[in-house]
Amino acid sequence: MTPQKQKQSLETSSLLQDLLKQQNDLTAVERFSKSKEAGALPDQAKYYQDLIPLSTPDKGEQYGFEVDLDACTGCKACVSACHNLNGLDEKETWRSVGHLTGGSEKNPKIFTVTTACHHCLDPACLSGCPTQAYFKDPKTGIVKHLDDQCFGCKYCTLTCPYEVPQYNPSLGIVRKCDMCQDRLNLGEAPSCVQACPNQAIEIKIVKQKEVMENAESKSFLPLAPDPQKTYPTTNYKTKSPFPKNLLPQDYYSIKKSHSHLPLVFMLVLTQLSIGVFTIKWISNFLLQNSLSEKYSLLFTALTFFLGQLAMAASLFHLGRPYYAFRAVIGLRTSWLSREIVAMAIFSFLTFSYAFCFCLNQWTSFFIPKSVFNHLETLTVICGLAALGTSVMVYRATKRDSWNTSLTIWKFYLSAFVTGSSFFLLLLDFFSFYNSEIFFNLMQTRKFLLLAILSGILLKLSIESSILSHLKNRHLNPLKRSALLLIGELKNVFKARICCGLVGGIGIPGILFLMEDSIRIFILLLGSVSFVLILAGELLERYLFFTSEGSDKMPGGFS
Amino acid sequence: MGILKKFFHQESGPLTRELLLDPGKFGLGMVPAKSSPDGTTTMVCGYCSVGCGLRIHLKNNEAVNLSPDTDYPVNLGFACPKGWEALTPLKAADRATTPYLRAPDKQLKPIDWNTALNIFTQRFKAIQEKYGTESVAFLSTGQIVMEEMAFLGALAKFGLGMVHGDGNTRQCMATAVVAYKQSFGFDAPPYTYKDFEDSDVIILVGSNLCIAHPILWERICKNPNHPEIIVVDPRMTETAMAATQHYSLLPKSDLTFFYGIARILIEKGWVDHSYIENHTNGFNEFSKHLESFLPERVSKETGISKDKLYQMAETIHKGQKVSFWWTMGVNQSHEGVRLAQSLINLALMTGNMGRPGTGANSITGQCNAMGSRLYSNTTNLLGCHDFLNALDREKVAQILGLDVSRIPQVNSWAYDQIIEGIGAGKIKGLWVIATNTSHSWIHQSFVNECLKELDFLVVQDMYYTTETAQAADLLLPAAGWGEKEGCFINSERRIGRVKKVAKAPGQALSDFNIFRLIAEHWGCGELFKEWISPEHVFQILKRISKGTPADISGIKDYARIDEAGGIQWPYPEGFETREKERRLFEDGRYYTNDYRAKFIFSDPQPMSETPSQEYPFLLLTGRGSSSQWHTQTRTKKSEVLKKLYPQQIYMEMNPEDGQSQGIKPNSWVYVESRRGKIKAKAYLTPTIQPGQIFIPMHYHTTNRLTNPSFDPYSRQPSYKACAVNVRRIEHWEGGEEE
Repeated sequence: MTPQKQKQSLETSSLLQDLLKQQNDLTAVERFSKSKEAGALPDQAKYYQDLIPLSTPDKGEQYGFEVDLDACTGCKACVSACHNLNGLDEKETWRSVGHLTGGSEKNPKIFTVTTACHHCLDPACLSGCPTQAYFKDPKTGIVKHLDDQCFGCKYCTLTCPYEVPQYNPSLGIVRKCDMCQDRLNLGEAPSCVQACPNQAIEIKIVKQKEVMENAESKSFLPLAPDPQKTYPTTNYKTKSPFPKNLLPQDYYSIKKSHSHLPLVFMLVLTQLSIGVFTIKWISNFLLQNSLSEKYSLLFTALTFFLGQLAMAASLFHLGRPYYAFRAVIGLRTSWLSREIVAMAIFSFLTFSYAFCFCLNQWTSFFIPKSVFNHLETLTVICGLAALGTSVMVYRATKRDSWNTSLTIWKFYLSAFVTGSSFFLLLLDFFSFYNSEIFFNLMQTRKFLLLAILSGILLKLSIESSILSHLKNRHLNPLKRSALLLIGELKNVFKARICCGLVGGIGIPGILFLMEDSIRIFILLLGSVSFVLILAGELLERYLFFTSEGSDKMPGGFS
Repeated sequence: MGILKKFFHQESGPLTRELLLDPGKFGLGMVPAKSSPDGTTTMVCGYCSVGCGLRIHLKNNEAVNLSPDTDYPVNLGFACPKGWEALTPLKAADRATTPYLRAPDKQLKPIDWNTALNIFTQRFKAIQEKYGTESVAFLSTGQIVMEEMAFLGALAKFGLGMVHGDGNTRQCMATAVVAYKQSFGFDAPPYTYKDFEDSDVIILVGSNLCIAHPILWERICKNPNHPEIIVVDPRMTETAMAATQHYSLLPKSDLTFFYGIARILIEKGWVDHSYIENHTNGFNEFSKHLESFLPERVSKETGISKDKLYQMAETIHKGQKVSFWWTMGVNQSHEGVRLAQSLINLALMTGNMGRPGTGANSITGQCNAMGSRLYSNTTNLLGCHDFLNALDREKVAQILGLDVSRIPQVNSWAYDQIIEGIGAGKIKGLWVIATNTSHSWIHQSFVNECLKELDFLVVQDMYYTTETAQAADLLLPAAGWGEKEGCFINSERRIGRVKKVAKAPGQALSDFNIFRLIAEHWGCGELFKEWISPEHVFQILKRISKGTPADISGIKDYARIDEAGGIQWPYPEGFETREKERRLFEDGRYYTNDYRAKFIFSDPQPMSETPSQEYPFLLLTGRGSSSQWHTQTRTKKSEVLKKLYPQQIYMEMNPEDGQSQGIKPNSWVYVESRRGKIKAKAYLTPTIQPGQIFIPMHYHTTNRLTNPSFDPYSRQPSYKACAVNVRRIEHWEGGEEE
């Protein structure tokens, strides 16, 4: 390096240091920083003063959003303004925007539909919440979420037909639009109202009676979820009539829904646990054979353990599992609370049952056989009722693919086939060690094999029956489910059918035909069959959640 | 009891406090308590040319949030989603925080600034020594502040000896520049946004204002005159839908269309003879030229019925204050200059100039395209001077204290010629600043081949992930909007402030500071000893502008701009006004030698590629949504914006065509032109006419299809016309784009 170059290099080096330092000095802005008098009316007030009500609602009235579809031109500022002015997390949005398109070649139409919480008259988020973390303000009708009360079960994201409650994984809770209640209280407009350049969003006082009347004629918004479900109060208005062929832009975009894996395991395991207990009871009852006490204890302990496993799985579904005890608070309205309580009772009864055995076995107490019988029957009844509450949890969401009859069949048959298969496996396992434990083993085995065969056959046909909706001309929720099963989810669906066919029909068939075979071989086949059946049921439940395709608010093209 | 109750039913607590709002200070209204400001400052948004004022919420001088400024004369308290989210992309994980050099193993490896500057200097100097100084060129941008643009242009041409440099502004407004220069004698968009509110007839040509410039649509909504809003666009856009009249003419039949309208105006005597007489030249030749544009012919060639042609002419005639506005539908055309001039001609012949609510008005694209027009030192010598004019060179040299020999005496090549030059081996080194050539330039595969041919490619950008940065040999990490000082000029000629309200990550430096270092390292620091801060350069630019139509010598300093809410040029020394909205040509005097505007016209030319049997569809490209910006280097960094547009590339097609091609809604298709093939999702919609398809420009494969044809006067690429075919994909092949 020449001296001159060296000098130059040194100079740039010190310049570089200066510039790097200067780059992060933010004091220059002080020269231009403004601070107006505190307490002044917000600057934007001049625009929004006419967009919020001057008075509070009377009896039979509440606040509601009003969206002028003609004024909205689709800039979507409302979404990001809501995000910024409410300080939401990076990925969190409480407002969303979709499009409805239709009309003729000569006169095509696009409506941009901005949507947030509809502050429903009968909010399904509220009635479904197991912790009473929702509150509908009797004065304003605003449906508010109590963030600190929520334990993140996400059930409201299933009960709300409008995808309003948004789960925030980092906080482990759900949050949602509260119509900027704190702003409204001070006479300030909600952030979306403030931010709309065309003043397309307003807060209006709506008459609850009118909301219900309008819901009767389903005039809420074309192809949106049925307003009868919750009585949404948002009013979408337009001067131009909706074209008859209006469709959401994402109408043909059929995408799988959330899989809720902990729930998949929780449901299948509780059903297995209840199923196996019930099957034992039935076989006792029908075939007059009973397990020896020792095996009975082992058996009940296993059932109890399965129940606990299911409970543990459900904890994974909670964003804040340490508040799980709050689940019982919603008993009055929430089927989820009831399900949790029913499962707990079932679990408690299996535990008591096992406990009584222990008492008899190892202490001087003696509990008479009739008590066992009654306890067993009670446990079975509770278990079956608990299964019923599971059905109701999904029925309460009013989603078509989770309709009552389909769900009843799915859940009870799951219990039936997994229970039968597991019971059979246990029998084979026990008798492998002691062939004399049964009064009539062969009969029981045949009975169970037939139960598995018929159960799976029935279940597979019910599950496949949804494919008949492919013939629907209208793309309704069930057709969407069917399309998912042969489209995005086809491999899972195939795997599910295979598991059922091999594990529930193939292997049980073989076992049924070859009565006198080597026991170890039977045991092996029985295990494979059970694993396949269980896997099949887990896949079925995965599809239960992912192929759910109910109506929603219009989205954008995707 | 209370504790127990709280245990079971907790109505407030830390999670509730997360969303607590603080009462409004500074007139802001309520704001999130966690980002409650201790002061605010207003600066211009860094996306489009509308130039909205955003109020930055400051805490210890650092931005914590923003909201649109109610008092700023442009946006009056509103912003589009990009503006609301403007701070988010600064925090992206893929910011370049240190210089990078391509190592022998082809990977980009971090290096320190001194090494980077050494390599920059050595490599470019070596290339210049071997192939001549003009073998190194630069591509500038409409996205940096004008003080940086001026520094870049001056440094490259006067300091580093480059001859050829152009900007990405070539892609958006070169056509308007040439049209104005030829017709008015200076590149002078005459309007102020208030004109949207004053018009009674608003004619939008090739402009989807609702999506591309939502805040300007807001200004139309504030118009109390219940204006007729006419949209001329092949597509039924959101704007067309909100308009009162829509003319969905055949693509690229627009020049014929407006000549047809002009002819009807003359035929009916609906022209302003006194305005023509007093303020224009060439009207007689123009009327003669129009003779053959009979309504029958025009109707046939444009697909617009004769009745509708007359309806449009009558609407113009009946309007007292008619304004003509255009955007990329006009500028990005193989005959864009003449097309823009056909609109200028309509405004001139009907006397719709210089009064409130009138004008022939180009709405620009980028936040500082207008700054680039004046100060990028690419097409024009600094301050709209002429490289070919010895007096201009002398003047600029004197103001800058330069030896005049340092100023090139030839014009720079345009963007396409620079790319061609690389292909031909004449350009060996290229310096790309704040633009994404690899993605955005027309006929993408060709430009990417060319970039590979370069001996040395330097990219200066905020992100190391842009397509062009990924092709760089040397990457210089730049601070972005909000991390530096300077000015933008918006579409209505308003100079607005950009301020440093966020710290740049790592060792990223403002473009200005990078230029200072390069000047120093190259050995020409002496030439730029006065160029120590953007505000110093602003003072230099004031001197350069003196006496030109865009004179800004009367603007005292940054503080004055800030206090005024932006200042429109011209603002010569001694001029004093408190008026916030000013328009040009109120006195009917134009910038030509005889102060008269010119009617300029020529015969419509066929587009260079028309649909054929093999490629039966015409592809139009354009903006997809208000939440996407150009090549998405910034907008895709915001999770909020990402929710507002389709994540996958899609193609709009008429349902009739869908049916005839066997394409189902939402299915994947191949779109193929003579230059490339891409995959896209089919969106069947009647808003596009049969025979045409539309693909947004924001997806990185779109420009594999486009056809490199250019307006002969402005060299602006014609992005909106190329022939393609569309085939359905037989088997589902997953969600990838390619």
